[in-house]
Amino acid sequence: MKLYSLSVLYKGDAKVVLLKAAHDVSSFSFFQRSSVQEFMTFTSQLIVERSSKGTRASVKEQDYLCHVYVRNDSLAGVVIADNEYPSRVAFTLLEKVLDEFSKQVDRIDWPVGSPATINYTALEGHLSRYQNPREADPMTKVQAELDETKIILHNTMESLLERGEKLDDLVSKSEVLGTQSKAFYKTARKQNSCCAIM
Amino acid sequence: MAETNEEVAVLVQRVVKDITNAFRRNPHMKELILSGTLNPIKDLHLGKLALTKFPKSPETWIHRRWVLQQLIQETSLPSFVTKGNLGTIPAERTQRLIQEEMEVCGEAAGRYPSNYNAWSHRIWVLQHLAKLDVKILLDELSSTKHWASMHVSDHSGFHYRQFLLKSLISQTVIDSSVMEQNCLRSEPALVLPKDEEAAASTEEPRINLPHLLEEEVEFSTDLIDSYPGHETLWCHRRHIFYLQHHLNGSQLSQAMEVDGLNDSSKQGYSQETKRLKRTPAPDSLGLEMEHRFIDQVLSTCRNVEQARFANAYRKWLVTLSQ
Repeated sequence: MKLYSLSVLYKGDAKVVLLKAAHDVSSFSFFQRSSVQEFMTFTSQLIVERSSKGTRASVKEQDYLCHVYVRNDSLAGVVIADNEYPSRVAFTLLEKVLDEFSKQVDRIDWPVGSPATINYTALEGHLSRYQNPREADPMTKVQAELDETKIILHNTMESLLERGEKLDDLVSKSEVLGTQSKAFYKTARKQNSCCAIM
Repeated sequence: MAETNEEVAVLVQRVVKDITNAFRRNPHMKELILSGTLNPIKDLHLGKLALTKFPKSPETWIHRRWVLQQLIQETSLPSFVTKGNLGTIPAERTQRLIQEEMEVCGEAAGRYPSNYNAWSHRIWVLQHLAKLDVKILLDELSSTKHWASMHVSDHSGFHYRQFLLKSLISQTVIDSSVMEQNCLRSEPALVLPKDEEAAASTEEPRINLPHLLEEEVEFSTDLIDSYPGHETLWCHRRHIFYLQHHLNGSQLSQAMEVDGLNDSSKQGYSQETKRLKRTPAPDSLGLEMEHRFIDQVLSTCRNVEQARFANAYRKWLVTLSQ
């Protein structure tokens, strides 16, 4: 079971802002790593964009599960994991991180922040520690607070999109993805394996 | 073969470009190895590198088995050495080969989910290189435990554990029947395993099969509780339950009857009991415990899949006792 990325974002009225991110792309081959990282940022932003405030959701895309929590104050977190990683622990992690972040970083900085300007350094450590869910969260079996029935489940990324919207278009318009990543995506698409880059 | 770094790089590139054919065994490749031109150890190393990029590649695994077979057949050095009065263990050289293969398989298993080719190669190595040596089987059981707990949907990984347990059961039965034959033929003064001095000198691992199986059940319970909704874990539980309670009648009790072997007058009686025990008796205590476990899971789980698997397991248990 594996965690690939952990991001903190702000869901602004106009757009979603990435505040801080940590990644573990060690399981990907060397040349894929920067593209994978870009796609994870792209995906995280898209998911927060399409999720309402005050909700939790899990979006499935092939072997990946993206867990998102958007707080009522517009602070949001996304964890990208594999399909073995227990979702309960993923949501515990998100809750914890957003809580800590909101105490360390002033609210006024959220709408205009970026990874370069935001002063929050604990993300890498959390990502690394939570790779082993039982070590990081020994009480995971007993956790009773979170009501799992309230978590929205999406079976594909596509189900987040509006009618008529195409993922291909969003990819090609994206500012987050570099040219190489977009090229990788096109090839993967042709082979009928969307996001096979990851 | 390649000597300089550049030559190695070119060789690796050629392998990577055409992995399907890089290890195709053809007469030429066979000659190269048999004539000593191609060093089998270096060939194995090349294969190991190739597997980091193509962890499933069937051709690479097949070729690997062929090379290993050459290595254990061709040399005049023994693969196995006798130890004490209870049989053979793999020679140090063979042990090193085995360890290396375990490592290669482990890495490949981590690179691709449910990597059947890697795990079946691992099994092959234990069967043909290690000859199901009990100590090695026990080591493998304990050393793969953490990996399995971190790959709870890896069906091949859990199937490997089932193989290990099954082999331990069969090996214990073989050992005890071999001992039985030796004892019945020889003098009563023959040193038996339960003689402490003998046990110390032969270093034979004392395995407690029921305890091992019980540990595996606890392991399964722990994982099912921590990681709800993984069918692999429930499948694994079925296998362990079956091993515990259906082989109980014949093989397990036979394996544990080592103490009764020195009394030749008991021979007739034990034949009778063996026949009786061969019909599997449904272990009602075991079944009861499993039903209680299912109840506990169903009452606390919030995962739809978990509930489905728990109910399916219950249905399976019911069919078992029919």
